[in-house]
Amino acid sequence: MTATDRIEELKNAALAAVRAADTTAALEELRVRYLGRSAELTEIKKSIGKLSQEERKGVGRSANLASREIEGALAARTDALAAAEREARLRKEAVDATLPGVPFPRGHLHPSQRIIDEVVDFFVGLGYGVAEGPEAETDYYNFTALGIPPGHPARTMQDTFFLDEGLVLRTHTSPVQVRTMLSQEPPVYVVCPGRTYRRDSDPTHTPMFHQIEGLAVDRGLTLGHLKGTLAAMARHVFGEDVNVRLRPSYFQFTEPSVELDVSCFRCGGSDAHCKVCKGAGWLEMLGAGMVDPDVLEEAGYDSEEYTGFAFGMGPDRMAMAKYGIPDLRLFFEGDLRFLRQF
Amino acid sequence: MRVPLSWLREYLDFDLGVERLVELFTLHSQEIDGVYRLGVAEGEVVVGEVVEFGPHPNADRLSVAKVDLGGREVQIVAGAPNPYPGARVPVVLPGSVMADGTKLKKAKLRGLESYGMMMSERELGISADHGGILLLDGSYEVGQPVAEHFPVGETVIDIDVTPNRPDLWGMIGVARELAAILQTDFRIPEPSFETGGEPTSDFGLRVEAEDLCPRYDLRRVSGLTPGGEAPLWMRRRVHAAGMRPINAVVDATNYAMLETGQPIHAFDAEKVREGIVVRRGRAGEKITLLDGSTRSLDDEMLVIADEERGLVIAGVMGAEDAEVGPGTTDALIEVATFAGQNILRTSQRLGLRTDASGRFERGLDPNTVDYAMERVAGLLSGVAGGRVADDTLGHYPEPVRSWRVPLRLSRARLLLGMPVEAEEAARRLASLGCEVGGEGEELSAVVPTFRRDLRREADLIEEVGRLIGLDKIPEALPGARQPGGLTPEQRNTRLVRRVLADLGLSEAITYPFGPGRWTRDLRMDGDGEPGVVRVENPLSAEGRDLRPTVLPGLLDAAARNRTFGARGGGLFEVGRVFAPSPPPKGLDEAALHFRMTGKVEALGPDAEPNRLSLMGVREEARVCVVLAGTVRPGGWNVPELRAGYFEAKGMVERLLPGASFEAGAAPDFLHPGRSAVVWAGNERAGWVGELHPEVSEKFGLDGWPVAAFELEAGLCRPDPEPRFRPFVNVPAAPRDLAVVVKESVPAGGMIAAVEGLGSEMLVEVRVFDVYEGSQVPEGYKSVALGFLFQGEETLTDEEVDVEMERIVVRLGEEFGARVRS
Ligand SMILES: [Zn+2]
Repeated sequence: MTATDRIEELKNAALAAVRAADTTAALEELRVRYLGRSAELTEIKKSIGKLSQEERKGVGRSANLASREIEGALAARTDALAAAEREARLRKEAVDATLPGVPFPRGHLHPSQRIIDEVVDFFVGLGYGVAEGPEAETDYYNFTALGIPPGHPARTMQDTFFLDEGLVLRTHTSPVQVRTMLSQEPPVYVVCPGRTYRRDSDPTHTPMFHQIEGLAVDRGLTLGHLKGTLAAMARHVFGEDVNVRLRPSYFQFTEPSVELDVSCFRCGGSDAHCKVCKGAGWLEMLGAGMVDPDVLEEAGYDSEEYTGFAFGMGPDRMAMAKYGIPDLRLFFEGDLRFLRQF
Repeated sequence: MRVPLSWLREYLDFDLGVERLVELFTLHSQEIDGVYRLGVAEGEVVVGEVVEFGPHPNADRLSVAKVDLGGREVQIVAGAPNPYPGARVPVVLPGSVMADGTKLKKAKLRGLESYGMMMSERELGISADHGGILLLDGSYEVGQPVAEHFPVGETVIDIDVTPNRPDLWGMIGVARELAAILQTDFRIPEPSFETGGEPTSDFGLRVEAEDLCPRYDLRRVSGLTPGGEAPLWMRRRVHAAGMRPINAVVDATNYAMLETGQPIHAFDAEKVREGIVVRRGRAGEKITLLDGSTRSLDDEMLVIADEERGLVIAGVMGAEDAEVGPGTTDALIEVATFAGQNILRTSQRLGLRTDASGRFERGLDPNTVDYAMERVAGLLSGVAGGRVADDTLGHYPEPVRSWRVPLRLSRARLLLGMPVEAEEAARRLASLGCEVGGEGEELSAVVPTFRRDLRREADLIEEVGRLIGLDKIPEALPGARQPGGLTPEQRNTRLVRRVLADLGLSEAITYPFGPGRWTRDLRMDGDGEPGVVRVENPLSAEGRDLRPTVLPGLLDAAARNRTFGARGGGLFEVGRVFAPSPPPKGLDEAALHFRMTGKVEALGPDAEPNRLSLMGVREEARVCVVLAGTVRPGGWNVPELRAGYFEAKGMVERLLPGASFEAGAAPDFLHPGRSAVVWAGNERAGWVGELHPEVSEKFGLDGWPVAAFELEAGLCRPDPEPRFRPFVNVPAAPRDLAVVVKESVPAGGMIAAVEGLGSEMLVEVRVFDVYEGSQVPEGYKSVALGFLFQGEETLTDEEVDVEMERIVVRLGEEFGARVRS
């Protein structure tokens, strides 16, 4: 048998074996057997040097061709088997995709705080600063500085918690505005969110509640600026479609004083049985007004040169309206069944 | 202020549905608290004459009547026994709708047909009397509508009058207001009466407490018909306005008060000895009031007395002694104004608020007294047959006069942000009773004395604005002239809240006041503790103390959640805590002065006490977290997260990277072996730990693991300012080391010691395992440390070995650590 014949024989055997192999491991074995260092074909290649010039060329070529053919077959078969095996493995790795994922639980921000954050962000965008002050406040800042001296009837309207002599739990966040005005020259643009306290407890009043008050003092500020600012704020919190209206009112530190109603964001006034507005079509949202000239003067501002507006709102009540919460007392019980809804 | 619309129509004509009226008042004047209906809302009430009246055959308590309605006779079942044959009664016909919305139908009552209903005073809205059927006199013609004599139905609007508008506490003021809104006229009743009664001057009048009584007028009405009831029209109005009809004299004074807003008092002249004295209360003086209570007076209380005894606590309530009663024929009528603040003080002292005190405490206009006196005199002569004295005794030493307020239209336009014409502004102010003068752009208004709230230009501008309509004001935005923003502290606090929420916790907001047990149960009531700030007038003992830590409120909440079936959870709160902070020695007076006036008195040429030191309360913002029970339930492939020291500590490390923890020094309410004080550098930032089991039990959390921490909000740094550090692209070399040390050796100390070596190559040290058990001797533990070394160039094993050797030596020297083989 000539070397060339032997090569042909080996090649055919190898190709048949490759075709018959059914694992990548078996193919690897075949590679070693037919193409490895001690494979017969390799031996033949190594011994080519011993052959005659004439034979060398023919044997060399067929050996190389055979090697290449076997390699090709091995590669093709390996690819096919590998793909099948990978597929089988992936099939085996399949999970129940409907099982829940690893939990990354969401925590919850308090509903009042959500409103406060929204409102504060709105005003920050308009160029307002944010001021805070003590909750245990002096009699002076809580009352007298706001035009409510001792003996004034308005003092009885705000059932006050008294601490040590001359100290109260602040009944509103207005003292923060006073403190701001005393420490700052116009223009002033500031909002003051915080906790406030009144001696009151029933389904619609809790002894603690939140207020956000705001103050703008500048040249040329008008009731129209107040209206525009608060209307934009209402739309920011309750949606683009709400309307606002002003009603005359009375507050100690503003003149003119107004209250701002927001059209019902749920029904727009079209539902006589609406749970949000109780059929009124309007929600009382906040009290506001142009800062009383006496208050400006008390702060050392020239009330002829500067005008200003002030407003105060109750983020707890806004949250009740926005999220449909029926009872204010729920806000302060730390009940997870409540908190986890926000 | 309850305003019956039929009464309001006496002063002005308006053709408005009640809904529109309410809307107009709401948008231009005052809020409306409610709309009430009385009597018959819809349908017909006719005069009937009882023909037969007898017991109902099938019911003990019912009667049955045959009633002539003018040409036809009907059968009516009645509940009241007072009608009799020949009596005239109001009969409401079937199909009518009552004020409460019920529709009357022909009905069978216990087997007998009943056509309509005979009506009581209450059913007609005349009074609260439901004792029997209203019997009408002969002037009511059978078969004719009762409405020809008085309205059988009434609509009442309840105005929520703001405290600056006492003028709206009278019908006349309301009429003026509505006329101003509608730009129409209104009329005031012209009092008329006959004089010639017994002279007032038989009595004296002496006002001793002039400072508390700007005006006092007294006039006598004699010859009154004793025991008389006021006529139906008057009782009806008094009732609809929310007062109780009593007798003709009292009803007439109340009627005049409802009309003018001015309280009026009537004394029985026969019981007044010598004269009226307006004076302060005397030490030890007592007075027994109409409500039967006996009150002690003080010298700040104003008393209306005669020469012998107190008759009335001025502006608040009268005594039994000299009140008008059923037998009164001779009355002294008082119309006066008192100092509002003094009335407020008295009514607060006595805990007694009456309709009159509520009016006086706002400060009434003394000039209203004249008309009110005329009006009540006219009413008394009209409804009680009285003759009015020719003379009035008066005390009014300093008459209040109108004042002038200038109004610049430019200012009005500026404040209102809308165009305002001079003519319109003048017209609006005139409709409120102002006399408007001035020219062009500069107006001025002479303000009537009943509008004490109109003192300044801004006050007038408000009136003009609201009457024109606030809806006319266009929306505008001020141009921002400055950047806004949160302060760094505020940004930080907000981030703390977001981070805690992202860690799966829920934000709570709890009351800062709680019961005394809070500090006791937290073992914070010991001698060395700073104590708590007290609320002087808590709603209950449950809210007496201001919290020295946020913890107890959150623990109560956790316990409450447990009660309602929660398996645990994580709560956080960012809020203030309070501690007493008495002013420095000798500055108590200065502190009180500061708290009351905002002023600080200098201590010397350049020494001023620190304002904060005078506040008396130190207030700090804290972040508190309570983890209780199962903080996070497990899943099919993840274990549950239970409350524990390390869970809490991990959160502290998240909020305050680089914090150090000092074991054994935490507050007494924590587990002594599972707690630490948290330090941010040199500053004490707070504490972290598991709750002491005894404290757990006190708060109803026994059996649950509870861990908590509280930090100064201002010291938290959840997102520290980043700072770039260069790095080299050379692989780092990790090494592990397990050492055996005594159980008591703190792992934190070992890490600190390793870091203390100052190795330039060591970039990370961590503990990745702690083991106690059979593999190590009793009383010892194995601590596995992982290190990461990094050099400028790839480190050789030998270089790292040198570093590792230094570490082993240091741990051996300092902690007796042996390398575990
Ligand atoms: Zn609605």
